[in-house]
Amino acid sequence: MTAFAEGLATALQPANLTALLGGSLLGVFAGAVPGLSSTVGLALVLPVTFALEPTPALLMMISIYMAAEYGGSITAIAIGVPGSSPALATTFDGYAMTRRGEAGRAFGISLFASMSGGILGTLLLVVALGPLSRAAIAFGPPEYFGLGVFGLAIVANLVGKDPLKGIISALIGLVAFLVGLDVLTGAPRLTFGSTTLMDGLGLVPMLIGFFAIAEALDALTGRRPRVDGTMGMRAALPRFKELFRLWRPILRGSAIGGVIGAIPGAGATIASIVAWNEERRLSRTPERFGTGEPAGIAAPEAANNACVGAAMIPLLALGIPGSASAAVLLGGLTVQGVAPGPLLMTEQASLVYALYAGFIVAVVFMLAVGRLGIPLWVRVVSLRPQILMPLVVAISLIGAFVLRGNLADAWFALFFGLVGFLMLRRGYPLAPAVLGLILGPMVETNYRRALALSSGSHTVFLESPISLVLIGLAVISFAAPALRGRLRLGNPDADR
Amino acid sequence: MARAWLHWFAVPAGLGLIACGAAPEEARFPNRPIEIVSWATPGGPSDLLARALAEAAPDYFEGQRVSVMTRQGGAGAVGMQYLRGRAGDPHVLGVFTASGTVNMATGRIPFAPTDFTPILRIQVDPFLVAVREDSPFQTLGDLFAVARERPGEVSMSGFGAASAHFLGFQRLRAAAGDPDVRWIAYEGSGDAVVAALGGHTDAVHTNYNIVREHLRAGTMRVLAVALPLTALRDTPVYVGEGYDLAPVHWRGVVGPPGLAPEVRADLRERLLATIRAAGFQEYMARAAMEYAVMDDSDAFGDWIAEEVETSRALLGRLGLLVNE
Repeated sequence: MTAFAEGLATALQPANLTALLGGSLLGVFAGAVPGLSSTVGLALVLPVTFALEPTPALLMMISIYMAAEYGGSITAIAIGVPGSSPALATTFDGYAMTRRGEAGRAFGISLFASMSGGILGTLLLVVALGPLSRAAIAFGPPEYFGLGVFGLAIVANLVGKDPLKGIISALIGLVAFLVGLDVLTGAPRLTFGSTTLMDGLGLVPMLIGFFAIAEALDALTGRRPRVDGTMGMRAALPRFKELFRLWRPILRGSAIGGVIGAIPGAGATIASIVAWNEERRLSRTPERFGTGEPAGIAAPEAANNACVGAAMIPLLALGIPGSASAAVLLGGLTVQGVAPGPLLMTEQASLVYALYAGFIVAVVFMLAVGRLGIPLWVRVVSLRPQILMPLVVAISLIGAFVLRGNLADAWFALFFGLVGFLMLRRGYPLAPAVLGLILGPMVETNYRRALALSSGSHTVFLESPISLVLIGLAVISFAAPALRGRLRLGNPDADR
Repeated sequence: MARAWLHWFAVPAGLGLIACGAAPEEARFPNRPIEIVSWATPGGPSDLLARALAEAAPDYFEGQRVSVMTRQGGAGAVGMQYLRGRAGDPHVLGVFTASGTVNMATGRIPFAPTDFTPILRIQVDPFLVAVREDSPFQTLGDLFAVARERPGEVSMSGFGAASAHFLGFQRLRAAAGDPDVRWIAYEGSGDAVVAALGGHTDAVHTNYNIVREHLRAGTMRVLAVALPLTALRDTPVYVGEGYDLAPVHWRGVVGPPGLAPEVRADLRERLLATIRAAGFQEYMARAAMEYAVMDDSDAFGDWIAEEVETSRALLGRLGLLVNE
């Protein structure tokens, strides 16, 4: 405890506080702007951290990481565009609540859940660094395959009214992920000889295309009902009582984020979708999910912020970056002469405790920036779509370009925008395609990797208990909606 | 003193040239900020090298701002395209690595070594084979012996497929008489190390800086390294183990095509001064890199061309060329 108090004292020194505050502001911005993400935010400050001492440099980077995970939800709730990919699941209920005229309530829930998730993820990091890092390395190809299949089964709950259209949408995502160099052989697939397509189409262009451009086209062609409610109603924040009543989804979301976040390569996007889906599965009123259910905002937002602390587990304990953002952080640490790994805790304990305390302070700053910002976000909601949507498209396209400095990404976003617009018009849900693009690589690569290691024997997926449980859950999750539908056939009232 | 007043004419004369639309052929270099194009993963070793250069360089480039410009995509093609398009302009540089030559060799990207002006090589990062501390393998020979006995049962994780890391290992395997060791490609070097740490693969083929902390902590061991490193003084070297080769990863600086020899020499001098600066040396130590400077630009050019040729021959033997 004294070590933690010393860490807190370090984090509260003026230079470190400034770094934390600056990081929080930049993080919220990077998270909220579609295209930019915690990774881009971190890459932007990397040169700045060169000039800083190790502690403020580290604190600035973690506060960006933390705040960006919250920032993504602002755009998700305000305009239905995930500001960064971990906010994807937040659009389902967050944007629905906004359209009902309760933007302030959604912003409040998201901020509270992000804060709680951030703190719980940090606590997990403090108490479970050793055991969770050992669990993370136990996760091999069969287990990743199981996790990917489990995630893909969520499609069953995202398909909407017409399951066939949902499955076609997921297939579109699965085809889109195939484009590019095959990770295992290096052979180009579906690139048609084009160098531009070699690194694939990318998640960010798809998110921008589907959620910013396609939605903008849809809104501007006049089918979109305007956001309901008076300004007063929109700005109304949730009561504390309502927030505290969400403790179950927040705890579950944080636990899911904490575990999935600690697994290298799984990450916050998958964790938040899984959290949303679990909440829906456990709910007595699953049909309300997607229509503005508070728990549908709280769970994924708690999960993606819990991932930040959890992502530090493989980084600090093993020196292995578990996400793109953690890779930039590792680069920053390397330049500072801080080498994460098994010896970090014994050799640089004071830095680690400053980091723990820094996370807590970063959450407080995130809360402050978020709370002060809510009236501003609410104003954005009130803009007319004819003004707002073109702005969103322009900013998103710039964001798509900045991500990798590659103009092709902006073209991919436009392409996905047209595809998404056509899909929307024909009643195809977009979320299954995104899920296909995110999880397709995890499923395919690890399926083949597992078989390469088992000399082609499929029993490897059944020998691993983790993989077995995940695949079993996937089957249940996929079959459940179909079974429910079957049961309802005899009772037309149940379907409203 | 006598010449000072001439400057008063230079300004309107220069403006006049710009107004005419003709770019003034400035004798003095550099006359505007320098860009270092980086097409590598942010935070990775090549990106860090670019950033460390940018940090140390201004002192040796007349105080000009030096910035890293990220141009990712197309397995480096996006960044290379940008650099090649700036023919004759010494204000744009690129960090070029073994990955670039391998991608040229596979035919994935439409570039050749002659598309750039080689300036100097800075780092050589020898490959090594590491295992988890409790592995039954004590030497490279042990590993290959088991692979010969039970073909395909020994697995080696590493970064990428048909990558510099992959080819580095294939060269070693060829020198050992082609025992059947299964290469399991991972998206990053860190992931490949986790696979070996978790016991999912039998060994990992990587570089020193990736496993440094695990070696210090004793959670991993190095069976052998391609070249002797100060930090791995007691570790067997490939040649000492009977494999007469030294596959390495390497990183250097190239310019756009068409730089005049005197411009290239000037750039080389400035970059040499940059990498000798205290700040840069500190970065090298912290990133666990050792200098392997090749400051003869022509020799560096030959090295690049040779690497492409060696890789191409090996890829052909393995049946992995993309555009034949």
